[in-house]
Amino acid sequence: MRQAGTYSGILSGGISGKTGPHLLPLARIKKIMKKSGEDVKMISGESPIVFSKACELFIKELTQRSWMVTMQGKRRTLNKEDVASAVMATDLFDFLVNLVSESGNSGEAPPPLELDTFASS
Amino acid sequence: MHGDSSNSNTNTIINNNAANNGNAANSNTMPPPCMVREQDQYMPIANVIRIMRRILPTHAKISDDAKETIQECVSEYISFITGEANERCQREQRKTITAEDVLWAMGKLGFDDYVEPLTVFLNRYRENENERTSLRSEPMLKRGIDYGPSMMMAPYGAGFHVGHQQGIFDGVTAMGGYMRDGSSGGGGPSSQASLANHFDPFGQFK
Repeated sequence: MRQAGTYSGILSGGISGKTGPHLLPLARIKKIMKKSGEDVKMISGESPIVFSKACELFIKELTQRSWMVTMQGKRRTLNKEDVASAVMATDLFDFLVNLVSESGNSGEAPPPLELDTFASS
Repeated sequence: MHGDSSNSNTNTIINNNAANNGNAANSNTMPPPCMVREQDQYMPIANVIRIMRRILPTHAKISDDAKETIQECVSEYISFITGEANERCQREQRKTITAEDVLWAMGKLGFDDYVEPLTVFLNRYRENENERTSLRSEPMLKRGIDYGPSMMMAPYGAGFHVGHQQGIFDGVTAMGGYMRDGSSGGGGPSSQASLANHFDPFGQFK
């Protein structure tokens, strides 16, 4: 039986084989990939695996930037408006602008930060 | 007999539940079916929350609508990248979206900070697969040391300060292999502080 061992700190759950525990469910990722376009035909087995890690990085980055907005407001509860502000302030997240504003942003979001100064060069 | 009041008793029970929930009108208790989120178009919210908590300080709270918003953003991210990767496949007249296509799309769409850690991740996954099929075995420790920098901290750099440092360095301290000066990974606050000052995730790639 393979030990999760060295990998566990990085992969948090380990890759213990093809069907081993990943952080995010591969079948669900594949389903979302297929839904992204009418003409998505075939998806290699490795693509969802790359996405499972990429989504983790993405969630961490979005959460971190949102939390910075929360802290700016001297609050301890990360709310939806904080996420919207982080999206507005980050060029990388331009593709999310419609998504975070369509459910009716309250308009009371704090002034946009220059969050890109924290991005790695 | 009070049988004729049985129906009203059933209704009363429902109304009482509504009252117990602090709602004056029982119509506020249950969401109408059309407003239930279709969950299979998103990553499971428990997984999303777990990843969020790894980056947030322990005292942080997350509102439910923030969790849902981030859940939606993840799906949008997958669609966004996949769309670009798929276009490339079509241009090159290939039918299958590969991991390389996904990585290429990420680089093109601005997520180049992710490409290197994901490439390392993918290579390790492939090594793992090859080992499984060929039944070779290598010492785990040897692989661990040359694994490379933490893939999770790359975009953030040393400038990011959170009230509670523990949450931020979660992934790094767990990586025994990173500290090149030979000290075992993670230690007390002093080692985390020095990591904050000298953090160079891609140092060995320069």
